[in-house]
Amino acid sequence: MLNALVSRLNSKRAGLALAKLTVVLCAFGHVQAAEDSSVKLAAPLYQRFAPEGDKAPSTDEVPSFQKHVSPLLGRLGCNGRACHGSFQGQGGFQLSLFGYDFTADHDALLKDKRVNLNEKLESLILTKPVSDDEHEGGKRFEPMGWEYWVLRRWIENEAPYQSKSIQRLERLEVFPPEIQFGAKGETTQIKAIACWEDGSREDVTCLCRFQSNDDAIAAINESGLVTAGEAGDSHVVVSYDNAVVPILCYRPLSDKVGSNYPNVAAKSPIDQHALQKLKKLGIVPSELCTDEEFLRRASLDATGTLPTAQEVVDFVVNTSPDKRAAKIEELLGRPGYAAQWTTFLCDMTGNNEDQLRNFLPQQVRPENQWYQWIYQRVRDNVPYDQIVEGIVTATSRLPDESYRDYCSAMTDICQDATGEKFAERPGLVYYWARNNFKTAEDRAIGFAYSFLGVRIQCAQCHKHPFDQWSKSDFDNFERLFGAVQANQNTMSADAKRESAKMIEELDVSKSLKGNQLRKELGELLKSGKTVPFPELTLTAARSKTPGNKNKKQEVAVPKAKLLGGEWIEMDEADVRGKLMTWLRAPENPYFAKAIVNRVWAQYFGAGIVNPADDLNLANAPSNAPLLEYLADGFVQNQYDFKWLHREILNSDTYQRSWIANETNALDRRNFSHSQLRRLPAEATYDAVRMALVDDAAFEKAQVLDLPRAITKAGSSAQNAGRDDLSYALSVFGRSARESNCDCDRSSEPSLLQTVFLVNDAAVQEWLSDPKTGWASSVAEKFEWEKPATKSAESPGANNEQLERMVNSFRQRQESIEKRLDMARENGKQKQVESLKTQLNELTRQAKSFARKNGLQGQLKTLLGEAEEDKVGQDSPVQAVDQRAASEKAMTEEQALWVAENAYLRTLSRKPNSQELATSVDFLKSESSPVGAVQGLLWGLINTKEFILNH
Amino acid sequence: MTLHRTCDGHSRRDFLRVGSLSATGFTLANYLKLANAGQVQSAKAKAAIFIDLPGGPSHIDTFDPKPDAPDEIRGTFKPIETNVPGIRISEHLPKLASCADKYAILRGVSHTLAAHRLGAEYVNTGSRPLASLEYPSYGAVITKEMPVAPELPPFVAIPRGNQRSGFLGIQYAPMNTGATPQAGRPFSVRGISLGSGITVEQIERRHGLLNDLDQTFRGLEEREQLLVGLDRFHEKAFDMITSPQAREAFDISREVPSFSAQFGPDGFSQSCLLAIRLVEAGVRFVSLSLGGWDTHTDNFSKLKDKLLPELDAGLSGLFNGLSQRGLLDSTSVMVTGEFGRTPKINARSAEGGRDHYPRCMFMLMAGGGMKGGQVIGESDDTAAGPRHEGLKPDDAAASFYYSLGIDPAKEYHTETGRPITLVRDGSVIPQLFS
Repeated sequence: MLNALVSRLNSKRAGLALAKLTVVLCAFGHVQAAEDSSVKLAAPLYQRFAPEGDKAPSTDEVPSFQKHVSPLLGRLGCNGRACHGSFQGQGGFQLSLFGYDFTADHDALLKDKRVNLNEKLESLILTKPVSDDEHEGGKRFEPMGWEYWVLRRWIENEAPYQSKSIQRLERLEVFPPEIQFGAKGETTQIKAIACWEDGSREDVTCLCRFQSNDDAIAAINESGLVTAGEAGDSHVVVSYDNAVVPILCYRPLSDKVGSNYPNVAAKSPIDQHALQKLKKLGIVPSELCTDEEFLRRASLDATGTLPTAQEVVDFVVNTSPDKRAAKIEELLGRPGYAAQWTTFLCDMTGNNEDQLRNFLPQQVRPENQWYQWIYQRVRDNVPYDQIVEGIVTATSRLPDESYRDYCSAMTDICQDATGEKFAERPGLVYYWARNNFKTAEDRAIGFAYSFLGVRIQCAQCHKHPFDQWSKSDFDNFERLFGAVQANQNTMSADAKRESAKMIEELDVSKSLKGNQLRKELGELLKSGKTVPFPELTLTAARSKTPGNKNKKQEVAVPKAKLLGGEWIEMDEADVRGKLMTWLRAPENPYFAKAIVNRVWAQYFGAGIVNPADDLNLANAPSNAPLLEYLADGFVQNQYDFKWLHREILNSDTYQRSWIANETNALDRRNFSHSQLRRLPAEATYDAVRMALVDDAAFEKAQVLDLPRAITKAGSSAQNAGRDDLSYALSVFGRSARESNCDCDRSSEPSLLQTVFLVNDAAVQEWLSDPKTGWASSVAEKFEWEKPATKSAESPGANNEQLERMVNSFRQRQESIEKRLDMARENGKQKQVESLKTQLNELTRQAKSFARKNGLQGQLKTLLGEAEEDKVGQDSPVQAVDQRAASEKAMTEEQALWVAENAYLRTLSRKPNSQELATSVDFLKSESSPVGAVQGLLWGLINTKEFILNH
Repeated sequence: MTLHRTCDGHSRRDFLRVGSLSATGFTLANYLKLANAGQVQSAKAKAAIFIDLPGGPSHIDTFDPKPDAPDEIRGTFKPIETNVPGIRISEHLPKLASCADKYAILRGVSHTLAAHRLGAEYVNTGSRPLASLEYPSYGAVITKEMPVAPELPPFVAIPRGNQRSGFLGIQYAPMNTGATPQAGRPFSVRGISLGSGITVEQIERRHGLLNDLDQTFRGLEEREQLLVGLDRFHEKAFDMITSPQAREAFDISREVPSFSAQFGPDGFSQSCLLAIRLVEAGVRFVSLSLGGWDTHTDNFSKLKDKLLPELDAGLSGLFNGLSQRGLLDSTSVMVTGEFGRTPKINARSAEGGRDHYPRCMFMLMAGGGMKGGQVIGESDDTAAGPRHEGLKPDDAAASFYYSLGIDPAKEYHTETGRPITLVRDGSVIPQLFS
């Protein structure tokens, strides 16, 4: 393989001039733009400054502070958090954490004789790090080693540094660009070439910092030597100056590589990209999933909603070859689609009612307006960039709208609690009105999280350890967000006057302020009076920025810098338009990637970059071409959301089975099979609710004619647990939307979730609801007597009940044993194992039951007898039939119908024969037929198959 | 609780989980079997309580006062004598001063992670966080190592916390109460009492049915911790609901008034009371937390007016209560924040604040055979670092495990078979057990 060749080349001929190596690489057409080989490549610093025997190096080169001294201090660990990078410094000496604050670091070095320009060789940075005794941080380099000479020569030349002379690192080229290992323990040396803006090039391997994203797969030492570990793939990361470059390292998981790889069709571009990576790793993807699995999975992922029983039946019998594509179209046209992805966008933008508290007059629900504003746009498939534009450049008033007109429009909008009318306004001002958006820093961080998928907050205080961002990048970016403000008191000057007048007209007591005023205005609003509203304002930023140095201009126009982009002039109060232009430009490195990656993560349980909201250089995508393809396609298709959904849903990659093969069972990041994923909080709640209601209500809920969790607008930790819905949502990990992190949402199961499904009063109520419960509608259908809603019996008190219980154990045991015998006869080993497990579990339960009811002896006897006598026993079905006759249990025919329909409405499939037998046994053995239906439904919503999307 | 996102709180754990799950290798099923066998040597402690002080409490203003340090370090609080001669703590902890014989103070505990999330992960697991792997917290390990009665949750977090199960898998995650108990009010965790209209018989039958039907993913448990977790939760939920034990343990209003009177009315104190009830009932691990210690501004008034009084009432109630019930010897207690705070008072607010400072912090250890009434370790004159070789969070973790009869050097395996030493870098602190 090429990569192996490259690694070998690289490690074998470490001294090889890079120009030659680049030619080799280019010949294979593999590496990113090879540099003009005519430019001389500077030898590594450790060679140039190597002492000659006991003598000083012969070079008269003066090391550069930026290129050599500062990275050397980083490489030596001086500016780490544990050492002088600590916020309080160490031993009175503080460097900027992770470097790149050259001026501060230079100042710190020249203070207190760290660098002593009077007695240069007494400089502490020369004397301390060579000694274990003197230096708390231990010995960092040899007394006369190259590191020493670099620092010494720099000091001997007066420790030069000028902030103006900071050069831009064009690129850090790393070789090999990726590493394929053949066996554990193999090694490859990384080499890094810095390419500066002046065209100079230097081998800086000895100045880089290296780290591995997973050292179990590829370990890397401080000199950049990579050692292969377990099979699999990960990245090692090379950092120098502000560059951070990941290198893919992998070792195939099977011998199915190269010509050994089986023939797998790649239908779509997504499949091609996914397959390309899988081929490298020797991973064979799973087969496609069944129709039932596809329908359930796609419905839940795309619309947050279970398919109806009828829909499943129709879909399975449909013989059209493109029925899956047609179903995808249908799903994308449903209201559930709009609600599902509105919830997703509300997470991203932080629709949290608690964060909007006090913004509007009391009793108005801005979170509903927020939700509706997005909902209607998603429903109408408004392009993503336009939706974002409405958020980013939002203003409260329409162009030329007077303040009073604005207030009257808002008054009208707020009469409707659903917030639907607000969607007509062009701007979603509330994004900027969040309480956690008070300062420019907050807004910059929140904006980068929402629309760039970048965690810029690290650079607020220091160089981002995993990305290119320096503190000054952050400061320059933050300035873009200085002007915009929205809180309960913000109003433009004309509005303030007008609002005072309005308050006077409304005859509101002047003593009312703040919340009391809001309360009063809320009352007036409710009675239909037009009341004043706050509005988003923009105050021109004050100039204190390194801007235009043109002295003729009296006041320099302040400048701000787009993240990784150009400087822009802050020549108008509202620069958000410029921000938006940059966002939606096709060359924006984040905007499209961030959203397609997040959408992908919704469908696959992991992003191509994962975590999905952390697009930093070190956190490399598991499949870069795939991410590029989706991001580019999304832009080319005018940010058409449905294009993206179609592309994903129609791919084989999405439609693969959860059943793994021997090569892909452990793969989580390369999309070789479908991952079992717990349903999101909202989908869980809705699925449980819908599974338990009658057909009519199910259908209504599917088109959002009944309240759904995916139509709940706001979210906050504050209100979690106020009612059944918010309690369930918080237990199942709905995003609290408060910390600029996708991790506000959790998909991990927990004991309380199980407790909810098993025993929560809400679930019990839904199960037994005489009006809308499915069980009750079945009772009506078969004309059973409806049960009394409450049972008067106290737990375990009644002897008759205990006896029935014991009988039930016995019946179940017999039923299992019978099937076990059959399975044994037919040689179905897997089934035998499974039945044995069931039998053990039953015994466990029986024991537990017996223990709790003081029946140990009795139950043991009964179970024991059953075991011994089973040959001579009546078949369990007969036994049940006898009882059924006396207690009007359901008929075989009814039981079959119930079982099949219960499966369809919960697991979106029909039961297999074993499941059908078990279900029918249960249904017929229960004394109350309605209770039996409830019991079966309860069982089904508590299966793992129900709660895990698969 | 707000999740603090921090600069180095970059999580890259969801790496491709491929690797060495060979035929002869370790499987999850195997270790579940071992865990179930309960072959754990029991030490003195049978349960543990972990008290997290998220935000990072100032050490100087609490358990490591420096009355002789310069103004800009000492702060405005004065030390007071405790009931153990020679040990002095902050004047705003009078109740804890009167029971200092019941706990040991570790001073000069030191590490290097000054970000909340990483620091919290460190002190909640006892191992320095790695990017590629999440260590299990104490509670998860104890849940795994110390079997509990089926009717009880092994591990309760009040109301929730930072004790995550890491690579051990979610079946060892805590049950969150979600709410904090209120003084004198009945308290329960939603859903753990059998619903009205449902009989034990019914639920037993349904549970049996569920086990018969829940077969689709059978056999995949080896590679999917998720499935094992869900199964465990089902068994536990079922057993808990059908017995009165759990709900009675949670209900602090059943406590005799003379006993509950020694706790403060606030949520933290009541949580301490609940922790005692839970441990008494047989719960193995209880975690609770008192947050708000991130005092970058207004350090002194925040401590004096709210944090220290609550800590004082709750913790003293806990130590005294455990002792009165005869549980202190069989219950290991650990109290810690994620780091200390800078000795030098900053000027960010009028009265000053203190910033993150992992190089010097305090911890408290009590019960479980650990000797109280002593100070272990020492910080230098300005509490800027340990005076001699400092203790590490790893050492405290090793001691905590040791008190519970768990070998800190025990080796676990991750889902991919990677061997991991429970406490990677710590050793048991001998003075705690002398």
